Amino acid sequence: MEIKSSENESFRHVYEEVFPVVMRVAYHVTYNMDVSEDICQEAFIRFYEKNIDFRSVDEAKYWLIRVTKNLAINVMKRKSREQAMVEKIKKAPKVPMRNGEDALIDSETRTLVREAVEKLPEKLKAVLVLKEYADLNYKQIAGILRISESNVKVRVHRARKIMESMLDREEMHVS
Amino acid sequence: MCLDDQILNTYLDGELTEPWKTQVEEHLNYCVACKTRFEQLRSLHAVVSGSRLEDETIAVHQNRVLQFIEKNYMEKRHKVGFLHRDFRVKTPMLLTAAAAFVFVLVGALLLGPGKQADANELIPRVLPASEGSLVQVRATEGLAASQVLESFPLEEILKYLDAKGYEVDLRVKGIQPVGEAMMVPTEESPAAE
Repeated sequence: MEIKSSENESFRHVYEEVFPVVMRVAYHVTYNMDVSEDICQEAFIRFYEKNIDFRSVDEAKYWLIRVTKNLAINVMKRKSREQAMVEKIKKAPKVPMRNGEDALIDSETRTLVREAVEKLPEKLKAVLVLKEYADLNYKQIAGILRISESNVKVRVHRARKIMESMLDREEMHVS
Repeated sequence: MCLDDQILNTYLDGELTEPWKTQVEEHLNYCVACKTRFEQLRSLHAVVSGSRLEDETIAVHQNRVLQFIEKNYMEKRHKVGFLHRDFRVKTPMLLTAAAAFVFVLVGALLLGPGKQADANELIPRVLPASEGSLVQVRATEGLAASQVLESFPLEEILKYLDAKGYEVDLRVKGIQPVGEAMMVPTEESPAAE
């Protein structure tokens, strides 16, 4: 299905499908809901305003993920320069947790994971977030980040290695 | 030889191609150490990936952002689009109207001299006295004359008078220079002879 980003019907279709992914990418880079909402809003406004033709919903999705990831990383760079804002992000209220029966991860573990992801170097963080939270394969991640697939493979491995060393495995609970 | 973490991670992500995939699977069937390590990596992946932002949490933001874009972008774009479309429909109509106007004007000049022609004259007040030697017209003099003159650019008035065979003496009075290079004429006095 061809996508014209400024056509309302196309836009709504892509929005419905891609927003959750894009929101997750923004959130797991910034770990702040308000900032993530702003980033997603900005990404979709750019998408709508630019009037780009995409060959498929997936192509549009990769474009949106790339823009979102860049916006989120820029926010984090800016934030790290402004220490006060970093504090604000850290003090941001925790995201309410799901209480359903399919809740696999408890909130304590989530906090540990969050702290570990936050500490990852930028390049590894981007790859890990796209792998674990945007459910993309190596080829798709390579396309979005404009790096080689083997580079993605290496970064996924390195990111997980660091994550493992930062997470105390005894404190991870998988029911 | 046992498998390293990178191969196990690649296998875990379903990215390992044949023949290595089958080789890894066979190895994991008998090597307890590698199988254990693989389970650890799978558990790590499950924990990290499972700690994702929930769909229910996203939904609120999804609706809010969509509403914002609908209100501030889609509705506005729609209006512009409508005008744009409207304009495109009107272009030939405008041309037709312009052609009709020219036709009427030319027709009036050719076929209906006298009072009918006067109605289309640019400077009607000049005409009755045009037989005389010198006529002075002030753009600001009299409401009707000024309205007629103001709706034409100076060049057009001059061109018109030139076409009519008048010799035009143009003077500009009461000017306050804005800059050194720019002068704004506030009063035009075309004189016909």
